[in-house]
Amino acid sequence: MSVTIAILSVCMLISAVSVVAARSPIVSALALVGNLITVAAFYAAMNAHFLAAVQILVYAGAIVVLVLFVLMLLNVKGEAGKKSDFILRVGAAIIAGFFLLTVVPIWDGWLGLSNLSAPEGTVRAIGKLVYTDYVYCFEVASILILIAVVGAVTLGRRARIPNIASE
Amino acid sequence: MDTRQVITSLDPALIPLAPLVGAAAAYGLGRKNRVFSGVIATFAAIVAFALTLKGVFDLAPSAIKEAHLWRWFGVGQVAFDMTLRLDRLSSVMCLVITGIGSLIHLYSTAYMADDEGMPRFFAYLNLFLFSMLVLVLGGNLLVLFIGWEGVGLCSYLLIGFWFRNLNYCGAGRKAFVVNRIGDAGVLMGIFLLLKHFGTVDFLLLNDRLGEAAALFDPKLAAVCTLIGFCLFIGATGKSAQLPLFVWLPDAMAGPTPVSALIHAATMVTAGVYLFARAHFVFDSAGAELGLIVVVVAALTAFISATIAVAQNDIKKVLAYSTVSQLGFMFLAAGAGAYWVALFHVITHAFFKACLFLGAGSVIHGCHHEQDMRQMGGLRRLMPVTFITYFISTLAIAGIYPFSGFHSKHAILASLGQSPNSLIVASAPIIVLIASVTAGLTAFYMTRSLVLTFFGSYRGHAHPHESPWKMTVPLIVLAVLAVIGGIGLEHSLPHYLEAVLPRAHAHESLAPIDSLGASWIGVLGVLIGVFLYGPLASVPPAIAKAIPLLLRLLQGKYFIDEVYQTLIVRPLEGVSRVLWRGVDQGVIDGTVNGTAEVVEVSGELVRTMQTGDVRHYALYLFGAIATMVAVYLVW
Amino acid sequence: MERIHTILAIAAITFAIGAVGVIVRRNVIVVFMCIELMLNAVNLSFVAFSQSVGNLTGQVAVFFVMVVAAAEAAVGLAIFIALFRTARSVESTSATELRL
Repeated sequence: MSVTIAILSVCMLISAVSVVAARSPIVSALALVGNLITVAAFYAAMNAHFLAAVQILVYAGAIVVLVLFVLMLLNVKGEAGKKSDFILRVGAAIIAGFFLLTVVPIWDGWLGLSNLSAPEGTVRAIGKLVYTDYVYCFEVASILILIAVVGAVTLGRRARIPNIASE
Repeated sequence: MDTRQVITSLDPALIPLAPLVGAAAAYGLGRKNRVFSGVIATFAAIVAFALTLKGVFDLAPSAIKEAHLWRWFGVGQVAFDMTLRLDRLSSVMCLVITGIGSLIHLYSTAYMADDEGMPRFFAYLNLFLFSMLVLVLGGNLLVLFIGWEGVGLCSYLLIGFWFRNLNYCGAGRKAFVVNRIGDAGVLMGIFLLLKHFGTVDFLLLNDRLGEAAALFDPKLAAVCTLIGFCLFIGATGKSAQLPLFVWLPDAMAGPTPVSALIHAATMVTAGVYLFARAHFVFDSAGAELGLIVVVVAALTAFISATIAVAQNDIKKVLAYSTVSQLGFMFLAAGAGAYWVALFHVITHAFFKACLFLGAGSVIHGCHHEQDMRQMGGLRRLMPVTFITYFISTLAIAGIYPFSGFHSKHAILASLGQSPNSLIVASAPIIVLIASVTAGLTAFYMTRSLVLTFFGSYRGHAHPHESPWKMTVPLIVLAVLAVIGGIGLEHSLPHYLEAVLPRAHAHESLAPIDSLGASWIGVLGVLIGVFLYGPLASVPPAIAKAIPLLLRLLQGKYFIDEVYQTLIVRPLEGVSRVLWRGVDQGVIDGTVNGTAEVVEVSGELVRTMQTGDVRHYALYLFGAIATMVAVYLVW
Repeated sequence: MERIHTILAIAAITFAIGAVGVIVRRNVIVVFMCIELMLNAVNLSFVAFSQSVGNLTGQVAVFFVMVVAAAEAAVGLAIFIALFRTARSVESTSATELRL
């Protein structure tokens, strides 16, 4: 295990726990940025250059900035003191325990995966695949984004329908 | 009977067609104008009578007019045809049905004039004529059975005609249910005939039985006894014999013309007709069957006559009298003297229809009063009704030269001359019972006559004579009741000799001897006259002397109550168990239980739906984790 | 210890942390960020498998996941604003009208 991977893993876990544990949502968002950048570094380490770039541009650059913008806009404070109810905490613990349990077979190498290196994930290589084999998916994805834009605009408008709750 | 000639003719089909069309027309057109319905129905009945006359006119002694309408259905080798046959046996019945039917239709147009339900009434009445004619003309037992059920249905409909009175509805239902018991017997008879002889056609059956008899088939007598017994069960239902006679007195809930037509003159004699029609079965049966029939008939006659003595409702008296007279008919039928049974059917139809119509006239005149204690002294107010009722009373009392004497005398004579050795052996006892019954008949009929027409009027209405539409049928029937006996005594057996066995007249007595032979009737009449005339204080004294017997008689031997306890109650108990336990408990319980399980589980599951997204996320992850776990463990 | 195993294990752990966040946190924007965390964990494992299998199909899948994540972010944040407008709060407990 190389030193790079070890350092990245530590960063990854710390930032992930910070996202969940931070009281302030702003801190969570910043921790998320760190996490995303770590993931980008992982991508770069695995020769996925295109994805590493997109990760930083789209995720860290666009999505998290959008989240931060909404947080600022709504002026969201940290959650009030009361804790989640018992069922949720126990349930979360069980779920987490189960998913962590899956680490054991992975660590023991049950999957029998080797470290074959893939072709380099350059813009050229990915683009060739996306515009040939996955062209239909690509077109569908464009329609999906169009729908998402229309949906966001519709939701963002001030509702003309009178609020049912206020009646 | 070997020389029978079958002629294809439409006559047998046209006769019942007239009242069928009449029924539809009476109901369809009568709803606009109810007077119309009576006219149409009466016209249809008269047309049927005319058609019968036409059909009978050229009917040779052994000829059979056959109308084969269509093949009904076939099962394997057995075919069932819609066949109607008019021979001399059925022609006699047809003449009675359509003739008396026409008179009663005419009578009803006046009797029912004020009733809203007139179209319905006349439609039912015509439908009854149709069913009865199908019963009589049916060429095989299955067609006969259609008519048999049809008259039962019409009887039910007409008993419950005033259906707003729940008691009347109950009477109709009782008649229907009790008749069903008998119908089951007829059906079993039909099935047995099919099983053993492969046909229910009367002509074919006659031939097959003849063949079997010629081969000295050892099982023939036993089979015929069983079949005959089944048919006799049917006859006890339809013709109100012990133990199924209980429905007929209750049937008086219907309008009085209905009682006259259906429950006195025609339908209740269907059992007797069945005996005559299927005489070959009874002739081939063992002697025990004849004895059973005769004993049941004698008991029925005697018991119902004693009940009639204690009744105060004029129609109830006549009803029990009808049951009693039907017993007389079955005496003859059981003894194998079918023509004598028919003879009494005809004379009884005359005088009993006349009596019922007279009673109807009285009831009509007294504004629907039926209790004889509220009548009296009507002979001056209703002279025509009185005279006809008087004549008919003498006829039913069996006094020479009125018709009842001849037929009753023939019945008593036939018992001793029966081909059945067991009956001949027991003839003295039977004749004794029958004679006592005849005396009782004379007595209670005189009682009703005196209570109704003599003395002074005890009611509160203003009695008046009925219109001509009601008196004309009375007069016609009274005349027939007078001359019917003498007229038919010799001509009827002669007319029927080709179609019925042993159809030969008994040697008739000289008029003076006949007068002597009617002593028992005279005695009954005299006792009645004295007890309810000059010695009016005696009956209450007698009633006081024998309170228990009187209660027994007024309570009709509590036969209804016995049936209620022995049959109806246990049946209700079983039904209740099935209802509460099986239906509500098991079947409904299953359905409701399913619903309850769903409801309870829904109550449990709905607590999961908190509306909080995080809980849903938990369930989502839980489900994913479970699926992954299952996948890994597999 | 193969490198790929380390990366897959890290991805699984990150996924579990994200799942806990989704369940436990009340602020829907934080929940949204936890979902992004889980998506990234899956993306990471995709790239790792792509590396192991030896072709780029996994990386294309990651590309499409990113597209979907972007669309999700657009709609999701619009929903948060709408929620805030009606409930004056972005906590999931304030939007429980659909309970029974």
